Amino acid sequence: MTLDTKNLGPRKVSGVTVSRPGRGAGVQTYIPEIAKGLAITMKHFFHNTKDMALGQRNDPVLESIEDGINTLSYPEQRRPYPTRFRGLHRLTHRDDGSPRCVACLCCSTACPAQCIHIEAGEYPEGDPKRGYERFPKRFVIDELRCIFCGFCVEACPCDAIRMDTGMHAAPYDSRDQFIFEKDLMMSFPGRDGSFATANPRHEPGEKSHPGIDRTHGH
Amino acid sequence: MNDIALFAIKFVALGFAVAMFAMNLAVVLTWVDRRQGSMIQDRVGPNRAVAWIPTPIAQGLALGPAVLLAFGVLGYCFKFEVTGPAQEQRGALFSHLAVLLLWLTGCVIASKVKARGARSKFDLWIQTLGEPRFIFFGGLVAHVALFFAALMLRGTPGGATFTEITSRVGPALFAFAAVSGALYAAYTIRNEKRIGLRLAGLLHPAADGLKTLFKEDFIPPNADKFLFNLAPFISFFPALVVLACVPFADTLCFATNADGKIQLSQLAASVPRYGVCTEGALKIQAIDLNIGLLYFLAVGGTGIVGAALAGWASDNKYSLLGGLRAAGQMVSYEVTMGLTLIGMIMVYGTLQVDKMIMWQQQNTWGVFAQPLAFILFFAAAVAESKRIPFDIPEGESEIVAGYFTEYAGMKFAMFFFAEYIAVVTASALMAAVFFGGWSLPFVFRDGIHLSIGNTAVFDAAMPHGGVVALGALAFILKTIVLCWLQLTIRWTLPRFRYDQLMRLGWRKLLPASLANILLTGFVVMAIRTAGPAVEHGMSVLTNLCNLLLVAGGLALVVWFAVFMCTPRKRKQLLATTSAQYAAEAGGTRTLRMGA
Repeated sequence: MTLDTKNLGPRKVSGVTVSRPGRGAGVQTYIPEIAKGLAITMKHFFHNTKDMALGQRNDPVLESIEDGINTLSYPEQRRPYPTRFRGLHRLTHRDDGSPRCVACLCCSTACPAQCIHIEAGEYPEGDPKRGYERFPKRFVIDELRCIFCGFCVEACPCDAIRMDTGMHAAPYDSRDQFIFEKDLMMSFPGRDGSFATANPRHEPGEKSHPGIDRTHGH
Repeated sequence: MNDIALFAIKFVALGFAVAMFAMNLAVVLTWVDRRQGSMIQDRVGPNRAVAWIPTPIAQGLALGPAVLLAFGVLGYCFKFEVTGPAQEQRGALFSHLAVLLLWLTGCVIASKVKARGARSKFDLWIQTLGEPRFIFFGGLVAHVALFFAALMLRGTPGGATFTEITSRVGPALFAFAAVSGALYAAYTIRNEKRIGLRLAGLLHPAADGLKTLFKEDFIPPNADKFLFNLAPFISFFPALVVLACVPFADTLCFATNADGKIQLSQLAASVPRYGVCTEGALKIQAIDLNIGLLYFLAVGGTGIVGAALAGWASDNKYSLLGGLRAAGQMVSYEVTMGLTLIGMIMVYGTLQVDKMIMWQQQNTWGVFAQPLAFILFFAAAVAESKRIPFDIPEGESEIVAGYFTEYAGMKFAMFFFAEYIAVVTASALMAAVFFGGWSLPFVFRDGIHLSIGNTAVFDAAMPHGGVVALGALAFILKTIVLCWLQLTIRWTLPRFRYDQLMRLGWRKLLPASLANILLTGFVVMAIRTAGPAVEHGMSVLTNLCNLLLVAGGLALVVWFAVFMCTPRKRKQLLATTSAQYAAEAGGTRTLRMGA
């Protein structure tokens, strides 16, 4: 086998040699060049002024690659956040409207900013869920301490906390307004408008339930 | 009464009007410079200034002027009945005005409806007419139909009926269009709590100007206080008063009484084509100086002192450098400015600006006679106003703000303002000396006479007042276009280096202007000594130049109409989920904030 040496070594530079711009009378007098520059300025001027006057500006998000005024006049106009944007937290609902959260404290444990506070409560005697799971009596997130890393969402085994609201924290007046309680976070829908998640739940007693609880383990 | 009014007009009103013209145009220019200067870079520019007014007042502001206009027009037309050609003219004027206002209002409403969606039955109806530009096309058809109907019916018995109809329906339709457009606006805003008055961002320079009044008037501790305070005024004042030698319109001719005093109530109905009335003449000019252009150069030159003084008195290295640069630059370019004007003076044979304009009215615009002088003068004028690309005296990247580094508040604003007023005055002078001032091609003191050589093509008499008003409009429009051209240059060119600036001034512009004088001298001598054949040839040439201007103007109008009607095709790029969300919502919506 012979070694192909032809394509080894530094790559040859390819391209077209651009000659120096001419120094003819047109360039030396500077006037035709000024006229060219003015023509370009005027083109932009007329197009953009017309768009502005007739209210035909580019859509700043949809048509941002086109020539024209692409300015987004925030806050009157807003660019929607992308799908994977981590916004304000929401607590997802079960079918009966109660939170999916089982107060396992995985999220508050994972939280590097320690901004999640959960007080767990036991279901009353006789409830099928008692001894299987708990519920959050209080679920509080300090949105000022939160660093929006998304670890809580990763840690949650029940898909109970999500950051897919597509909203950012509004600039409130005082700090206590940033302490988000359970009810508030349950009132936020996801981007699709629903309060549930795509992952189904299997309640104890339902056929799909695997039948695992604290006493009947694996 | 007559004497008091005459005195007020001659010595107060004209000067006041000229100063107001320059200062208001300067304010508008600051707005244009910021706002439109952003637009050429695909940005919106400062447009956030807003004055909130209660809805009833806003409705009144929309309806009041419209109703006044409607009643004024109707009242005038029915009080002063006219017959014959005057009636024909009135019918044509008002029917075309009515059609113009109708399609204009229709276009505005249709584009609003297109932008925000239909909100009423009328909106739905106007949507059925299609794109806003279809309404413009309809209006164009109506204009053409009116024009040709008038032309066909002229002289026939139907013509009298047509004139009767247009002279009565025209004003009525005009009044209807004005009132109904205002009514629509008032109706649309009826549910708003308050209306934001933005004037396309024009409030922004007003707010900025007001702000400077309230700012601290800082004077550096070691500055020469007297000179420091004096400098902005020396800079501001000459920029403003040089406009006094420029006439804004043709000389008005009035009837005189037994003592030879002007009777203001009796404006001459028509004047002869050539010459100006000797008695009862009122010049639309702040001061009538026989030295004209020399006054402009002399007073304009004192502006240098302001900049140099500001630099000296500020006790600041950068200010001193800026002041030196300003003095050096302005003195250098003053030379070119004066020498290029000498060429014009040789052609026109006068120093008085109004006589120069008269020459241009009889022949053709000065820019055709002296194209090189125009280019040289334009360059020198931009350099005189110390603006980009000649803004080395205030070069931010090198010497902070140059000679006005230490100035704050209203004194800074005066320097700033003086710069823009210098743009206005230079434009006004250029319009007068090179672009015919208040004269339009083929429009003479007694009407329109289109002729090539000795062959008359089109003749129409016009009333004296109409010609003068048209001339004033033309002059203001020319000034605005030239101001805009100076701004466009600012938006396009980068700053020169100081040695490049000096080289351009002394080694290029100065020799070129000297050569221009020499050449002009030879040509003027040659033409004056040549026979009548050459004279006739020159007159045909000037007519052709004027024809070129008319054709160019018409082409510009057609181009503008086509340009405005051409829709812009744009491609959407839905590469991001963000864009997909926006597309789902039907585009980036504009939320109403705070209204």
